[in-house]
Amino acid sequence: MKREMRREGPRTLTAHVGRFVLVFVLSLAVLATLWTFIAPTYTRLVAMLARPLFRLVESPNVTVLSAQGAETWVYRIIGEREIAPFTWFDRYTFFALIPLLALLAATPGLGWRRRVLRGVTGIGALMVVHVLYVVSSVELSYAAMGLRTVGPLAARTLDLWQIVVRVLWEAAPILIWVALTFGAWKKLFERLRSGDPAGGDARRASWTGALGTLGWKKKEGTP
Amino acid sequence: MRERTKAERTEPGRAPTTRMVLSIVLAAVVVLLLVLLATHEGAIGAVQRAYAAVTHGVLRVLGHDTTILGNVVRSSDFGITVVTACTGIFATALFLVAVLVFPTTWRAKLFGGVLGIGGIAVVNVIRLVTLYYVGVHWPAALDTVHQLVWQSLLILSAVALWLLWAGRIAGRKGAER
Repeated sequence: MKREMRREGPRTLTAHVGRFVLVFVLSLAVLATLWTFIAPTYTRLVAMLARPLFRLVESPNVTVLSAQGAETWVYRIIGEREIAPFTWFDRYTFFALIPLLALLAATPGLGWRRRVLRGVTGIGALMVVHVLYVVSSVELSYAAMGLRTVGPLAARTLDLWQIVVRVLWEAAPILIWVALTFGAWKKLFERLRSGDPAGGDARRASWTGALGTLGWKKKEGTP
Repeated sequence: MRERTKAERTEPGRAPTTRMVLSIVLAAVVVLLLVLLATHEGAIGAVQRAYAAVTHGVLRVLGHDTTILGNVVRSSDFGITVVTACTGIFATALFLVAVLVFPTTWRAKLFGGVLGIGGIAVVNVIRLVTLYYVGVHWPAALDTVHQLVWQSLLILSAVALWLLWAGRIAGRKGAER
């Protein structure tokens, strides 16, 4: 009996993680199929938001963005009424939207209303990241090719900045998801803790300490 | 006065400030080191070559007549080049940050770090091997599998590993210290 009770906690956690993985994979399969239809609209929106930002950071404005299907083409003005293709972002550049939505779909303990609200917030936040990614990537490329003047320190650390931009672009869906579902995971961990009667005071104390350090307050009456 | 239990004495929340500050500083150092690694041609080249060598070894075991040249694994059917983005370095960085900022014991964090680096490396080798297979047998789907499927699965594996560690190991280790 004691052994069974001790095993209950970890098993429940494994079950939760298993469910999480399963729902994630299923959601991903459905959403990835839909991505073909969503991508052109999303790409157009990103380009629409990035254009004024280019005008803000460039003087004079030399970049022309064109959303072509799910691809974003970047042209550079090289003369009066003359533009030349500079680079492009392929149809996978903004795909992180799909794993983000799949992560939200798989997160346990969220009602549908909250899930949808977080989904909308997540899409908005990720779109901001994508807009910044497009603008900063292009500007860093200009600087690397000597098409934009930068200070000596920035010139020496261009490689580093390109990596930082890349890391933030890759990490964005996870960071946004963590920010949006922090509370849900907290509740799940608390439930796992309370549903593990023989898990020992030790594990309970550890989680209490962990959650407390993260700023989570224990509800009154909970063990 | 009640004597504190072992669990209470070892509770990570007991000294949250120092532990958290140190953890965040360490996480920042790890991110900086990984960014420097990614920008250092020699170092990242070695990681790329290591992944290529392991992938080559696995493919040979699976009966493929592959050859290796630097970070390129190829056969008469198909070839793959391991570049920086293929090393899983970004997912690993994220995982390590998540482990380091999680309030638990240093021993549990060390265990989490090793688990994450090892786990993501294993998943990454599986990714490279399956991409080789897709390239040989289903080349039309290579782009999709490479960019869409594996990008998502790498995120999933890092998150699932972290959840398992955070829920199961960190709590227990925290009590054992």
